[in-house]
Amino acid sequence: MSAENIFSTLEEKFGAKRETLDKWGVTAVVSGAYLRNVVQFLKDSTEEKFDMLVDIAGIDYLTYPNHEGPRFAVSYAFKSIKTPGARIRLKVLVGEDSLKVPTISDLYANANWYEREVYDQFGIVFEGHPDLRRLLNHVEFVGHPLRKDYPAQKRQWLSTNDYLLPELEKRLETLGYKVIQRSKEVEPNDDEFLEGSVKA
Amino acid sequence: MGNEAGKPSIITSSLDFLVNWGRTNSLWPFPYGTACCAIEFMSTEVGRYDLSRIGSEYVRFTPRQSDVLLVAGTITYKQAPILKRIYEQMAEPRWVIAMGACASSGGFYDCYCTVPGIDHIIPVDVYIGGCPSRPEAFFDAMFDLQKKIKDESYMKQRAERVKEQIEMIKAKTAEAKANAKAFAQEKVVDIKDFVVEKEQNLVKKAQFWKE
Repeated sequence: MSAENIFSTLEEKFGAKRETLDKWGVTAVVSGAYLRNVVQFLKDSTEEKFDMLVDIAGIDYLTYPNHEGPRFAVSYAFKSIKTPGARIRLKVLVGEDSLKVPTISDLYANANWYEREVYDQFGIVFEGHPDLRRLLNHVEFVGHPLRKDYPAQKRQWLSTNDYLLPELEKRLETLGYKVIQRSKEVEPNDDEFLEGSVKA
Repeated sequence: MGNEAGKPSIITSSLDFLVNWGRTNSLWPFPYGTACCAIEFMSTEVGRYDLSRIGSEYVRFTPRQSDVLLVAGTITYKQAPILKRIYEQMAEPRWVIAMGACASSGGFYDCYCTVPGIDHIIPVDVYIGGCPSRPEAFFDAMFDLQKKIKDESYMKQRAERVKEQIEMIKAKTAEAKANAKAFAQEKVVDIKDFVVEKEQNLVKKAQFWKE
Protein backbone atom coordinates (compact mmCIF):
# COMPACT_ATOMS: atom_id res chain seq x y z
CA MET A 1 0.00 0.00 0.00
CA SER A 2 1.56 3.25 -1.04
CA ALA A 3 1.50 6.46 0.94
CA GLU A 4 -1.16 7.96 -1.37
CA ASN A 5 -3.41 4.96 -0.77
CA ILE A 6 -3.03 5.20 2.99
CA PHE A 7 -3.84 8.90 3.02
CA SER A 8 -6.87 8.47 0.76
CA THR A 9 -8.19 5.66 3.00
CA LEU A 10 -7.64 7.82 6.06
CA GLU A 11 -9.53 10.65 4.40
CA GLU A 12 -12.42 8.39 3.37
CA LYS A 13 -12.74 6.41 6.57
CA PHE A 14 -11.81 8.84 9.32
CA GLY A 15 -12.05 12.29 7.79
CA ALA A 16 -8.34 12.98 8.19
CA LYS A 17 -6.67 15.83 6.35
CA ARG A 18 -3.20 15.88 4.87
CA GLU A 19 -0.99 18.53 6.43
CA THR A 20 0.08 21.06 3.81
CA LEU A 21 2.88 22.60 5.85
CA ASP A 22 4.75 19.31 6.15
CA LYS A 23 7.85 19.30 3.95
CA TRP A 24 7.77 15.54 3.37
CA GLY A 25 4.00 15.22 3.16
CA VAL A 26 3.68 12.36 5.64
CA THR A 27 1.48 14.04 8.22
CA ALA A 28 -2.25 13.53 8.66
CA VAL A 29 -4.36 15.75 10.88
CA VAL A 30 -6.85 13.57 12.77
CA SER A 31 -9.62 14.53 15.16
CA GLY A 32 -9.24 13.27 18.72
CA ALA A 33 -12.40 11.15 18.55
CA TYR A 34 -11.02 8.99 15.69
CA LEU A 35 -7.41 8.78 16.95
CA ARG A 36 -7.63 5.30 18.44
CA ASN A 37 -9.39 3.92 15.34
CA VAL A 38 -6.77 5.46 13.06
CA VAL A 39 -3.90 4.06 15.12
CA GLN A 40 -5.56 0.63 15.22
CA PHE A 41 -6.03 0.78 11.46
CA LEU A 42 -2.39 1.76 10.84
CA LYS A 43 -1.15 -0.97 13.16
CA ASP A 44 -3.28 -3.88 11.94
CA SER A 45 -4.91 -3.25 8.58
CA THR A 46 -2.23 -1.57 6.49
CA GLU A 47 0.27 -3.60 4.50
CA GLU A 48 3.27 -1.95 6.20
CA LYS A 49 1.92 -2.53 9.71
CA PHE A 50 3.24 0.53 11.52
CA ASP A 51 4.25 -1.38 14.63
CA MET A 52 6.78 1.03 16.10
CA LEU A 53 5.86 4.24 17.91
CA VAL A 54 8.87 6.50 17.56
CA ASP A 55 7.74 9.55 19.48
CA ILE A 56 4.88 11.56 20.88
CA ALA A 57 5.46 15.30 20.99
CA GLY A 58 3.40 18.19 22.26
CA ILE A 59 3.25 21.49 20.36
CA ASP A 60 2.22 24.90 21.65
CA TYR A 61 1.23 27.28 18.82
CA LEU A 62 0.88 30.34 21.07
CA THR A 63 3.69 32.35 19.49
CA TYR A 64 3.67 30.59 16.11
CA PRO A 65 3.36 33.10 13.24
CA ASN A 66 0.13 33.08 11.18
CA HIS A 67 -1.42 30.21 13.09
CA GLU A 68 -5.16 29.79 13.24
CA GLY A 69 -7.10 27.20 15.17
CA PRO A 70 -6.53 25.36 18.44
CA ARG A 71 -3.55 26.30 20.57
CA PHE A 72 -2.07 22.86 21.28
CA ALA A 73 -1.32 19.81 19.18
CA VAL A 74 -0.05 16.32 19.90
CA SER A 75 2.08 14.74 17.20
CA TYR A 76 2.59 10.97 16.86
CA ALA A 77 5.39 9.47 14.77
CA PHE A 78 5.05 5.88 13.57
CA LYS A 79 7.52 3.69 11.73
CA SER A 80 7.28 0.33 10.06
CA ILE A 81 9.78 -2.38 10.91
CA LYS A 82 8.61 -4.63 8.09
CA THR A 83 9.05 -2.01 5.36
CA PRO A 84 12.13 0.07 6.16
CA GLY A 85 11.63 3.74 5.51
CA ALA A 86 7.85 3.70 5.77
CA ARG A 87 6.87 6.43 8.17
CA ILE A 88 3.71 8.31 9.01
CA ARG A 89 2.81 11.08 11.40
CA LEU A 90 -0.50 11.86 13.01
CA LYS A 91 -1.41 15.20 14.47
CA VAL A 92 -4.28 15.85 16.87
CA LEU A 93 -5.25 19.46 17.46
CA VAL A 94 -6.24 20.21 21.04
CA GLY A 95 -8.10 23.32 22.12
CA GLU A 96 -7.21 25.21 25.26
CA ASP A 97 -10.69 24.63 26.71
CA SER A 98 -10.77 20.83 26.49
CA LEU A 99 -7.08 19.67 26.67
CA LYS A 100 -8.07 16.02 26.32
CA VAL A 101 -6.76 13.30 24.01
CA PRO A 102 -7.56 9.56 24.19
CA THR A 103 -4.63 7.42 25.26
CA ILE A 104 -2.96 4.86 23.01
CA SER A 105 -0.90 3.32 25.82
CA ASP A 106 -2.87 0.06 25.55
CA LEU A 107 -1.95 -0.22 21.85
CA TYR A 108 1.72 0.76 22.21
CA ALA A 109 3.37 0.08 25.59
CA ASN A 110 5.99 2.80 25.18
CA ALA A 111 3.25 5.41 24.74
CA ASN A 112 2.80 5.25 28.52
CA TRP A 113 5.90 7.29 29.32
CA TYR A 114 5.63 9.52 26.21
CA GLU A 115 2.15 10.54 27.27
CA ARG A 116 3.34 11.18 30.80
CA GLU A 117 6.05 13.44 29.42
CA VAL A 118 3.61 15.40 27.25
CA TYR A 119 1.27 15.72 30.23
CA ASP A 120 4.16 16.94 32.39
CA GLN A 121 5.46 19.54 29.95
CA PHE A 122 2.21 20.76 28.32
CA GLY A 123 -0.60 19.76 30.68
CA ILE A 124 -2.52 17.80 28.04
CA VAL A 125 -4.58 15.07 29.74
CA PHE A 126 -4.63 11.63 28.15
CA GLU A 127 -7.97 10.00 28.91
CA GLY A 128 -7.78 6.36 30.02
CA HIS A 129 -4.06 6.48 30.84
CA PRO A 130 -3.30 4.00 33.67
CA ASP A 131 -0.84 6.18 35.59
CA LEU A 132 -0.79 9.82 34.48
CA ARG A 133 1.84 11.51 36.66
CA ARG A 134 4.72 13.89 36.05
CA LEU A 135 7.73 12.22 34.51
CA LEU A 136 10.56 14.75 34.25
CA ASN A 137 9.67 17.51 36.71
CA HIS A 138 9.35 16.94 40.42
CA VAL A 139 6.09 16.37 42.29
CA GLU A 140 5.81 19.87 43.75
CA PHE A 141 6.25 21.62 40.40
CA VAL A 142 3.46 24.08 39.61
CA GLY A 143 2.64 24.71 35.95
CA HIS A 144 3.83 23.17 32.70
CA PRO A 145 7.27 24.44 31.64
CA LEU A 146 7.21 23.88 27.86
CA ARG A 147 4.14 26.03 27.38
CA LYS A 148 5.11 29.28 25.70
CA ASP A 149 3.58 31.40 28.49
CA TYR A 150 5.68 29.72 31.20
CA PRO A 151 8.66 31.98 32.05
CA ALA A 152 11.63 29.82 31.07
CA GLN A 153 13.80 30.95 33.98
CA LYS A 154 11.17 30.53 36.69
CA ARG A 155 12.68 28.08 39.16
CA GLN A 156 10.85 25.95 41.68
CA TRP A 157 12.46 24.22 44.64
CA LEU A 158 11.61 20.74 45.86
CA SER A 159 11.33 20.16 49.62
CA THR A 160 11.81 16.40 49.79
CA ASN A 161 13.10 13.81 47.39
CA ASP A 162 10.67 11.55 45.55
CA TYR A 163 10.24 8.30 47.38
CA LEU A 164 9.43 5.58 44.89
CA LEU A 165 9.38 2.47 47.10
CA PRO A 166 5.62 2.34 47.89
CA GLU A 167 4.82 2.37 44.20
CA LEU A 168 7.42 -0.29 43.50
CA GLU A 169 5.86 -2.49 46.17
CA LYS A 170 2.41 -2.09 44.59
CA ARG A 171 3.83 -3.11 41.24
CA LEU A 172 5.60 -6.12 42.73
CA GLU A 173 2.33 -7.24 44.30
CA THR A 174 0.58 -7.16 40.94
CA LEU A 175 3.36 -9.38 39.59
CA GLY A 176 2.66 -11.95 42.30
CA TYR A 177 5.38 -11.11 44.83
CA LYS A 178 4.63 -10.86 48.52
CA VAL A 179 5.66 -7.68 50.33
CA ILE A 180 6.82 -8.50 53.86
CA GLN A 181 7.50 -5.00 55.15
CA ARG A 182 5.73 -2.00 53.69
CA SER A 183 7.47 1.39 53.51
CA LYS A 184 5.69 4.60 54.35
CA GLU A 185 4.93 7.43 51.98
CA VAL A 186 7.09 10.50 52.61
CA GLU A 187 5.00 13.61 53.07
CA PRO A 188 6.54 16.96 52.02
CA ASN A 189 7.51 18.92 55.09
CA ASP A 190 7.13 22.70 55.02
CA ASP A 191 9.87 23.19 57.63
CA GLU A 192 12.41 21.43 55.45
CA PHE A 193 11.82 23.69 52.46
CA LEU A 194 15.07 24.87 50.95
CA GLU A 195 16.03 28.48 50.63
CA GLY A 196 14.44 30.31 47.70
CA SER A 197 11.41 28.06 47.63
CA VAL A 198 8.31 29.18 45.76
CA LYS A 199 6.12 28.12 48.68
CA ALA A 200 7.91 30.22 51.28
CA MET B 1 70.44 -1.66 61.02
CA GLY B 2 67.73 -3.21 63.13
CA ASN B 3 68.68 -1.49 66.36
CA GLU B 4 67.48 1.92 65.26
CA ALA B 5 63.83 0.85 65.18
CA GLY B 6 63.98 -0.48 68.72
CA LYS B 7 65.23 2.79 70.20
CA PRO B 8 62.61 5.09 71.71
CA SER B 9 62.29 8.36 69.83
CA ILE B 10 60.41 11.58 70.53
CA ILE B 11 59.08 14.19 68.13
CA THR B 12 57.83 17.50 69.43
CA SER B 13 55.22 19.33 67.40
CA SER B 14 52.05 21.33 67.77
CA LEU B 15 48.79 19.39 67.70
CA ASP B 16 47.43 21.69 64.98
CA PHE B 17 50.31 20.87 62.67
CA LEU B 18 49.98 17.16 63.27
CA VAL B 19 46.20 17.05 62.75
CA ASN B 20 46.38 19.21 59.64
CA TRP B 21 49.20 17.09 58.25
CA GLY B 22 47.04 14.01 58.69
CA ARG B 23 43.98 15.65 57.17
CA THR B 24 45.71 17.15 54.13
CA ASN B 25 47.32 13.91 53.09
CA SER B 26 44.34 11.60 53.33
CA LEU B 27 41.46 13.43 51.65
CA TRP B 28 39.03 10.73 50.64
CA PRO B 29 36.62 11.98 48.00
CA PHE B 30 32.97 11.06 47.60
CA PRO B 31 32.24 11.36 43.87
CA TYR B 32 28.76 12.81 43.28
CA GLY B 33 29.04 12.48 39.53
CA THR B 34 26.03 13.37 37.41
CA ALA B 35 27.57 14.43 34.10
CA CYS B 36 30.74 14.51 31.99
CA CYS B 37 32.89 16.01 34.79
CA ALA B 38 32.66 12.64 36.52
CA ILE B 39 34.38 11.05 33.50
CA GLU B 40 37.20 13.57 33.88
CA PHE B 41 37.40 12.65 37.55
CA MET B 42 37.82 9.00 36.54
CA SER B 43 40.79 9.88 34.38
CA THR B 44 42.20 11.93 37.28
CA GLU B 45 41.92 8.89 39.49
CA VAL B 46 43.61 6.32 37.22
CA GLY B 47 47.25 5.77 36.32
CA ARG B 48 48.06 8.62 33.92
CA TYR B 49 47.29 11.40 36.40
CA ASP B 50 47.06 9.32 39.59
CA LEU B 51 45.26 11.21 42.32
CA SER B 52 46.64 8.83 44.96
CA ARG B 53 49.98 10.68 44.74
CA ILE B 54 48.52 13.32 47.06
CA GLY B 55 46.80 10.84 49.35
CA SER B 56 43.32 10.83 47.85
CA GLU B 57 43.74 7.16 47.34
CA TYR B 58 40.33 5.79 48.10
CA VAL B 59 37.17 6.89 46.43
CA ARG B 60 34.51 6.19 49.02
CA PHE B 61 30.99 5.56 47.84
CA THR B 62 29.46 6.22 51.22
CA PRO B 63 29.22 9.72 52.70
CA ARG B 64 30.05 8.40 56.17
CA GLN B 65 33.62 7.47 55.27
CA SER B 66 34.59 10.41 53.06
CA ASP B 67 36.07 13.86 53.70
CA VAL B 68 35.53 15.70 50.42
CA LEU B 69 32.20 15.86 48.61
CA LEU B 70 33.05 16.18 44.95
CA VAL B 71 30.04 17.48 43.03
CA ALA B 72 30.84 16.77 39.39
CA GLY B 73 27.98 17.59 37.09
CA THR B 74 24.62 19.27 36.63
CA ILE B 75 22.33 19.38 39.67
CA THR B 76 18.63 19.60 38.87
CA TYR B 77 15.90 20.68 41.27
CA LYS B 78 14.73 17.08 41.49
CA GLN B 79 18.18 16.14 42.75
CA ALA B 80 18.81 19.05 45.13
CA PRO B 81 17.26 17.40 48.25
CA ILE B 82 19.32 14.26 47.64
CA LEU B 83 22.57 16.24 47.45
CA LYS B 84 21.68 18.12 50.61
CA ARG B 85 20.93 14.91 52.45
CA ILE B 86 24.23 13.37 51.38
CA TYR B 87 26.11 16.46 52.61
CA GLU B 88 24.32 16.22 55.95
CA GLN B 89 25.25 12.56 56.25
CA MET B 90 28.98 13.30 55.99
CA ALA B 91 30.96 13.41 59.23
CA GLU B 92 32.88 16.58 60.11
CA PRO B 93 35.42 17.80 59.11
CA ARG B 94 34.00 17.91 55.58
CA TRP B 95 34.79 19.93 52.49
CA VAL B 96 33.04 20.45 49.18
CA ILE B 97 34.49 20.89 45.71
CA ALA B 98 32.21 22.17 42.92
CA MET B 99 33.71 20.73 39.76
CA GLY B 100 32.93 22.29 36.39
CA ALA B 101 30.68 25.08 35.17
CA CYS B 102 27.38 23.31 35.93
CA ALA B 103 28.06 22.61 39.59
CA SER B 104 29.59 26.07 40.13
CA SER B 105 26.99 28.23 38.39
CA GLY B 106 24.50 26.09 36.49
CA GLY B 107 26.58 26.47 33.33
CA PHE B 108 24.63 27.10 30.16
CA TYR B 109 21.48 25.50 31.61
CA ASP B 110 19.74 28.79 32.37
CA CYS B 111 16.30 27.23 32.68
CA TYR B 112 13.51 26.01 34.93
CA CYS B 113 15.10 22.69 35.88
CA THR B 114 18.73 23.37 36.82
CA VAL B 115 20.04 24.72 40.13
CA PRO B 116 22.19 27.81 39.37
CA GLY B 117 25.20 26.67 41.39
CA ILE B 118 25.27 24.19 44.27
CA ASP B 119 26.14 27.01 46.71
CA HIS B 120 22.38 27.61 46.85
CA ILE B 121 22.13 24.31 48.72
CA ILE B 122 25.43 23.57 50.50
CA PRO B 123 28.60 25.57 51.36
CA VAL B 124 31.41 25.19 48.81
CA ASP B 125 35.16 25.40 49.53
CA VAL B 126 36.72 25.26 46.07
CA TYR B 127 35.23 25.95 42.63
CA ILE B 128 36.74 24.58 39.43
CA GLY B 129 35.97 26.12 36.03
CA GLY B 130 35.88 24.33 32.71
CA CYS B 131 33.34 22.33 30.78
CA PRO B 132 34.41 19.72 31.66
CA SER B 133 37.43 20.57 33.83
CA ARG B 134 40.81 19.09 32.96
CA PRO B 135 42.46 16.69 35.43
CA GLU B 136 45.17 19.33 35.92
CA ALA B 137 42.50 21.78 37.09
CA PHE B 138 41.25 19.18 39.50
CA PHE B 139 44.75 18.73 40.94
CA ASP B 140 45.03 22.49 41.31
CA ALA B 141 41.77 22.51 43.26
CA MET B 142 43.01 19.72 45.51
CA PHE B 143 46.20 21.70 46.23
CA ASP B 144 44.09 24.77 47.03
CA LEU B 145 41.99 22.69 49.38
CA GLN B 146 45.13 21.32 51.05
CA LYS B 147 46.39 24.88 51.56
CA LYS B 148 43.06 25.83 53.06
CA ILE B 149 43.13 22.87 55.43
CA LYS B 150 46.68 23.72 56.52
CA ASP B 151 45.43 27.15 57.62
CA GLU B 152 42.73 25.68 59.81
CA SER B 153 43.33 25.31 63.54
CA TYR B 154 42.05 22.18 65.18
CA MET B 155 42.53 23.57 68.71
CA LYS B 156 40.71 26.77 67.87
CA GLN B 157 37.74 24.90 66.40
CA ARG B 158 37.71 22.63 69.42
CA ALA B 159 37.78 25.59 71.80
CA GLU B 160 34.88 27.19 69.94
CA ARG B 161 32.94 23.98 70.04
CA VAL B 162 33.53 23.59 73.79
CA LYS B 163 32.52 27.21 74.32
CA GLU B 164 29.31 26.63 72.39
CA GLN B 165 28.60 23.52 74.43
CA ILE B 166 29.20 25.31 77.72
CA GLU B 167 26.87 28.11 76.66
CA MET B 168 24.27 25.58 75.63
CA ILE B 169 24.56 23.78 78.98
CA LYS B 170 24.25 27.11 80.83
CA ALA B 171 21.15 28.03 78.87
CA LYS B 172 19.62 24.60 79.48
CA THR B 173 20.30 24.76 83.22
CA ALA B 174 18.81 28.26 83.45
CA GLU B 175 15.74 27.02 81.58
CA ALA B 176 15.41 23.98 83.85
CA LYS B 177 15.81 26.16 86.94
CA ALA B 178 13.12 28.55 85.75
CA ASN B 179 10.83 25.61 85.02
CA ALA B 180 11.43 24.12 88.47
CA LYS B 181 10.77 27.49 90.11
CA ALA B 182 7.50 27.96 88.24
CA PHE B 183 6.45 24.42 89.11
CA ALA B 184 7.24 24.94 92.81
CA GLN B 185 5.30 28.22 92.84
CA GLU B 186 2.32 26.51 91.28
CA LYS B 187 2.50 23.82 93.95
CA VAL B 188 2.67 26.44 96.74
CA VAL B 189 -0.36 28.24 95.30
CA ASP B 190 -2.23 24.92 95.05
CA ILE B 191 -1.47 24.04 98.68
CA LYS B 192 -2.51 27.52 99.82
CA ASP B 193 -5.81 27.20 97.97
CA PHE B 194 -6.34 23.77 99.46
CA VAL B 195 -5.71 25.05 103.01
CA VAL B 196 -8.00 28.06 102.51
CA GLU B 197 -10.76 25.79 101.21
CA LYS B 198 -10.41 23.46 104.20
CA GLU B 199 -10.57 26.38 106.62
CA GLN B 200 -13.71 27.73 104.96
CA ASN B 201 -15.29 24.27 105.12
CA LEU B 202 -14.48 24.02 108.82
CA VAL B 203 -15.93 27.46 109.48
CA LYS B 204 -19.11 26.49 107.60
CA LYS B 205 -19.38 23.24 109.54
CA ALA B 206 -18.86 25.04 112.82
CA GLN B 207 -21.56 27.56 111.92
CA PHE B 208 -23.93 24.74 110.95
CA TRP B 209 -23.47 22.93 114.23
CA LYS B 210 -23.84 26.16 116.16
CA GLU B 211 -27.16 26.78 114.52
